[in-house]
Amino acid sequence: MIGCYDFCGHYEWTFEWLRQQGGEPLVREYWNVAIRGDSQTHATRLIVEGGIPGMKEYWGHTLDHEAAGYAITSTDKVFRVDMHDCPSKGFLNRNGLAQYHDYCDHCMGWIGPLMKDAGFVIDHEHNHCGQCWWEMRRQSDPTPPSATGELAGAQDVRLGKDWRRPEAKDVYRRATDPDDKTATKPA
Amino acid sequence: MKNPGSPATNPLPYTDTKPVGAADFYFAINATFRFVLARHGIEGLRRYWTDMGAGYYRPVMERWKEGLPSVAEYWREFFKAEPGAKAEVAETPDAVTLNVQVCPAIKHLRDHGREIVPCFCQHCHFVSEAIAAPAGLTVRVSGGNGSCTQRFAKREGCPEPQRIGDIREAL
Repeated sequence: MIGCYDFCGHYEWTFEWLRQQGGEPLVREYWNVAIRGDSQTHATRLIVEGGIPGMKEYWGHTLDHEAAGYAITSTDKVFRVDMHDCPSKGFLNRNGLAQYHDYCDHCMGWIGPLMKDAGFVIDHEHNHCGQCWWEMRRQSDPTPPSATGELAGAQDVRLGKDWRRPEAKDVYRRATDPDDKTATKPA
Repeated sequence: MKNPGSPATNPLPYTDTKPVGAADFYFAINATFRFVLARHGIEGLRRYWTDMGAGYYRPVMERWKEGLPSVAEYWREFFKAEPGAKAEVAETPDAVTLNVQVCPAIKHLRDHGREIVPCFCQHCHFVSEAIAAPAGLTVRVSGGNGSCTQRFAKREGCPEPQRIGDIREAL
């Protein structure tokens, strides 16, 4: 039986298996169709129908359930997540699992299209080591991403020592697609 | 693909900081099967399961080479970490038999009104067989759709192949 205890391991392995079958387009299709459109229908329903309150409900439950180290900050205009200790990437790192070239892209792979359906855009950065941040705003809102500490205060992941690690960071601005990656910030 | 790792002292090849997995991940497992089935057909899905058994679960295969007690040890630890599972692992000199009274995946999918891929239960045969065969073992699955029996034994003692018809469709 394939279990849920080590789910992130065989999930990550699956990305590379799919890439070998049909290239990156098949991986993107998998994130959008299978994960957003099938596995995560509960998230889609909450967020498309509920907007920011739906995001609070979905991520409050999910990240608690996965025992993540995270902080959520929200107003009526923006929903922000500071991920200090991603349970998924942490599991992979601790177990030395790295089949696919950028596991972190899977989040934008299903959350991006979901936010597009819900009328939101995403500012996001991840460091490939288990730390990232997300800001979701309505597509009609031109506000740029917050300055460090401006929204989340001391809980802003950009203030932590892990954010200053030498690994390169991937940067997304007003994105809804995993290939909207606009820059890789040098360490 | 690279070998994902070598066996550690824990019977499970990959370990987490939390004792039990998050059951909502069964949604993604079911959705993945549906996606691969739609894109690659049943033979493609069986190849996915077989490749996963031979690749991702290679450290389990290395353990199972130590013999049937290591198979029993693996499954005991496995079911402890799956939320809602009710399973007994019976061990004799010739075989290890899993009596799965409540399959945690089928139960969680059913409890949440998810449409289960009909051939869902076949993955237990194809993944486990790919792990078992290089270790000189084989598995026969009977039942399914929420409860089943899985018998692991030495290959030379099991001339009859798995009958897919012995594995029930999930509803």
